[in-house]
Amino acid sequence: MVMTDILAHVFRTFMSQSEQRKELDVPPPLPPLPPEAGCSTVLLVGERSTSRSLLLLAAVTAASQMGMRVMFFTQTQIQSLPVSLQKCVPSLSPESLKKIQFSYPRTVEELLQQVASLHESPNTSPIPPSLIIVDRLESFLCAPAGDSYSGFHSGEQSSAAHLSALLCDTAAFLTQVLQQRASSSAPCRVIASFQPERDTGKDSGGPSATDPILDVLDRYFKIRCTLDRDRSYEAAAAGLQEIWNIYLSGTGIRDTSSTKHCDDRPGVAQEWQLFIFPDGLMEFKLV
Amino acid sequence: MNRGALKHEVAVMSDFTLPDVAQQLFRDIQKTYQETSQIPDELLIALKFVFGPCALPALDLVDQRSVTCLSSPSGRKAFQVMGGSGRLYTCFVSCHYCPCPAFAYTVLRRNEGLLCKHILAAYLCQATGVSQQESVSDQQMSALLSGTAAP
Repeated sequence: MVMTDILAHVFRTFMSQSEQRKELDVPPPLPPLPPEAGCSTVLLVGERSTSRSLLLLAAVTAASQMGMRVMFFTQTQIQSLPVSLQKCVPSLSPESLKKIQFSYPRTVEELLQQVASLHESPNTSPIPPSLIIVDRLESFLCAPAGDSYSGFHSGEQSSAAHLSALLCDTAAFLTQVLQQRASSSAPCRVIASFQPERDTGKDSGGPSATDPILDVLDRYFKIRCTLDRDRSYEAAAAGLQEIWNIYLSGTGIRDTSSTKHCDDRPGVAQEWQLFIFPDGLMEFKLV
Repeated sequence: MNRGALKHEVAVMSDFTLPDVAQQLFRDIQKTYQETSQIPDELLIALKFVFGPCALPALDLVDQRSVTCLSSPSGRKAFQVMGGSGRLYTCFVSCHYCPCPAFAYTVLRRNEGLLCKHILAAYLCQATGVSQQESVSDQQMSALLSGTAAP
């Protein structure tokens, strides 16, 4: 719960109505996090447009419902909030959107500089961000096709490690700052999305376990949230645009399941389903 | 434990948290060093056993006072380690990363070691309390962390 709290909160908030009735009280308010919870880092692995919708949903939910300041790094300009998102969060106020700061670094060097400067006072006052989102890590890390040779990714691996470590170290530092200021938004979380190279092909299976960049990212991100499209006949027959299976895995899941703080809160669900309707509406279901 | 067993243990430590044996070793070094101002042979042997070939070069770096703990007015901290060639490497305090070639090759690519000699030297300096202290501006700290500062 601690490690995936924002995503879990998103999933529960946008549960399908029938699922919500099963849960009786919906959605449960997020319990305050224990100060020793540490920073939480989640890697969203899967197809880029679905990941991006989830990241935006997480940003909007964190800002509007949890009052968090959000830094959103992406290469793709966001002109307006997607219609699907406006449908999901009808009560969205412009005030809460102001808590989300979008930043558009063009290169990994610019992204590193912007993340590295988050500790400087203009970025931490009056309150530092407690959610850092990076959309499409691969757009910063992976050289365009043809530039890499014979599968040797040493430079990209080192770059992935540098960026991941900087994100983790920055979140750890901002967590300390938030705790010193007795902010209820502590700890600072990181959610980043990544689409492995192999997944971009038409015949994508699951994300490759041997993707050299993903190997490195998995060292630093405590939780992996894998999106896998359900292409079964039932999905098509149900009249839905898309169904995605969401799997949560990683050391962060194991860590939290063994802590004493889990006694009074729901356990981490390891598997969810995401339904995307033709009008773009998103709903989640606990599997 | 034979070498093969150690290699296996290293390979599963892919989430970069140090194994208990390494953490205990640093605690033992810290305690002994506070009392006697030296690291006894048995702990040096244990260090070599746990960290392999980077243990001795890391101890050399500690002897040469090559590790500096940088801090800036924001409270942000980082380690800067001067390598054998005189190049400065900036390492983070809360997770393992070093821009040196050994970290990229041995740790990231081949998954054959826990850390490089620079990160180990930073750990040893923390345990022995012999690192130099230096203040930098917030902007300098940002440049060092992002790797855009002139070395």
